[in-house]
Amino acid sequence: MDEILIATLRSGTPLVYAALAGVIAQRAGIWHLGLEGLMIAGACATIVGIVLTQSVLLALIIAIAVCMLGSALLWLVVEKLKANQIIAGLGLTGLGLGGTTLAVQSIFGTQAAVSAPFGLPKIGPAFGPFESLSILALLMPVIVFLVWVMLRRTRFGLRLAASGEHPFAARSAGVNPSTMRLAALLIGGVLCALAGAELAAGSLNIFAQNMTAGRGFMGFAAAIFGAGHPIGAACAAMFFAVVGAMGIRAQIVFGDHIPHELLLSLPYIATVIGIWLSARLRGGTKALTGFGELRDQ
Amino acid sequence: MESILSGLRAAVFIVIALLLCGVIFEIAGYSAPLMFESILDGAFLRRGALEQALRWALPLFITALGVVISFRAGYFNIGGQGQFYMGAIAAAFVAEWLKGSPAALVIPACFVAGMAGGALWALWPGILRIKSGADEVITTLMGNFIAAFVLVYVTAGPLKDPSGSGQQASSRPLDAAYRISNSLGLSPTIIIIAVLAGVLVWALLNRTSFGILAGLSGRNPTMVEWQGARVWRIGLASFLISGALAGLAGTIELMGPNGRLAGGFLPGHGFTAILIALVANLSVLGTAVAALFFGGLASAALFLPILAGLPSAAIDIINAAISLFITAKSGFIDRVARLGKGQWTKS
Repeated sequence: MDEILIATLRSGTPLVYAALAGVIAQRAGIWHLGLEGLMIAGACATIVGIVLTQSVLLALIIAIAVCMLGSALLWLVVEKLKANQIIAGLGLTGLGLGGTTLAVQSIFGTQAAVSAPFGLPKIGPAFGPFESLSILALLMPVIVFLVWVMLRRTRFGLRLAASGEHPFAARSAGVNPSTMRLAALLIGGVLCALAGAELAAGSLNIFAQNMTAGRGFMGFAAAIFGAGHPIGAACAAMFFAVVGAMGIRAQIVFGDHIPHELLLSLPYIATVIGIWLSARLRGGTKALTGFGELRDQ
Repeated sequence: MESILSGLRAAVFIVIALLLCGVIFEIAGYSAPLMFESILDGAFLRRGALEQALRWALPLFITALGVVISFRAGYFNIGGQGQFYMGAIAAAFVAEWLKGSPAALVIPACFVAGMAGGALWALWPGILRIKSGADEVITTLMGNFIAAFVLVYVTAGPLKDPSGSGQQASSRPLDAAYRISNSLGLSPTIIIIAVLAGVLVWALLNRTSFGILAGLSGRNPTMVEWQGARVWRIGLASFLISGALAGLAGTIELMGPNGRLAGGFLPGHGFTAILIALVANLSVLGTAVAALFFGGLASAALFLPILAGLPSAAIDIINAAISLFITAKSGFIDRVARLGKGQWTKS
């Protein structure tokens, strides 16, 4: 039982951080499909940072800087150049996936996985069987709570939500929605850096090409499934992680009787079901409709 | 006028995207001019480059036609990759099942199966979107990942080539009689299929009520509903057709250049097809031109590591940067565009 719980926390923590970034962006009115790209950039920067600087703290700072830079780029394109959020977000994701491959190739001269000598600090033997979890996993509930406080109990959070729900009202109250979106994306960048750091340096201390494997998109889906609420999104992300951990468990129990790939695809199937359920329960998960504006310039 | 301006707009943002790529290449420690020169060389200038560009362009063109249809109808079907895989898988199963039958029977059957496979893989996100309102961006994206797992399962399981070695499992090769091209991937059959698909899609979009209604319901579904057309049927049909076209491209890749399935083959196909449709501003003729450009880039991705010693990820970065900027609107170009407006222009 402990093993399943540990596996769930380990795979769920990056998802939760990514989902929080998605929630904040969604509140501010941006459908953030760049999460995947920021996450892999964060993962790559953390591992490469640890290898080059021998310091976890410096590596995290590099990762956060890279992800904030990527977020600022997305903001520039979406807000200032009025690009389509979904296509630009996918572009940022592609930039993250391609850029990290290129960076690893250029620094290490090979496309093989990069391993770091050590990773994020562990929470230690005080937590018994959970000692091997990283501090980011321990911090996760705190961060979820802080994001909730920020969104629901601060002036900043309310302005953020107003910018997303009713930019016109926000503007007439003296809030610049565009600036609020930049703030939302930058905070999301920090969270994505943490998501990537936990994914790469949380337990395996390794960076491999495309290692995020859709987790950023799952985080985005968790933000939708969780109704744009930080706690709801965190629960949705943990749900996807539980399904994934059960799949791995089932593989050990049932061995070859069930195709390995079916079990691996369970979290993705759960994500589809999650999106469908939230659409059924709340009547549509679509924020932006139509691609018509692309042709009606 | 409109189309020239939209072409100009695309060109401006492609240049901006390439500048961003140059910066990224320099940061990563590569010489940007050398990189661009090698890409240009690999894509269009070296001997035989145009044939290679065309070989990659044709399947991309077909998948991109599907993107054009679904985007025009207002649906973000970004699951081209998964539909492409499912089409190839369905065709491979039929080829295996009919093994030994005459090619005149097997090849058409494979094409039908491939298109049906792609269409089915677009059907469920379409139903979830139209009947329940589940966002098709996420469902089709997840469909891509699931289809990739199905592909790995099929190539390592039911269709596994027992003689295959190496880490990448692949399916048993197709009989030579069932192939529609050699491994270079260019044959009259493939060209005819692509041209036919282009003409049919053009006619469908511009000369049938379906095309007109799809374009209208992409812009204003409520109005179309009030006009008495059933938006859900148009939407579902556009999902199915776009899936079928991606499946057709998958079938071509299987029965033409590849000759077998391999886990994770052509991973960027669906994404590149979306870019092609967007660069072309969702016009069919533009899609053909854009497909040739991106087909060149795709062939350069193979050329770079082998002949220039440069990483092929450079091409992924160029594609991604173009995607970042391609839907951007420039105030300047729009202002120029507005000067010419004043009468109804056909877009």
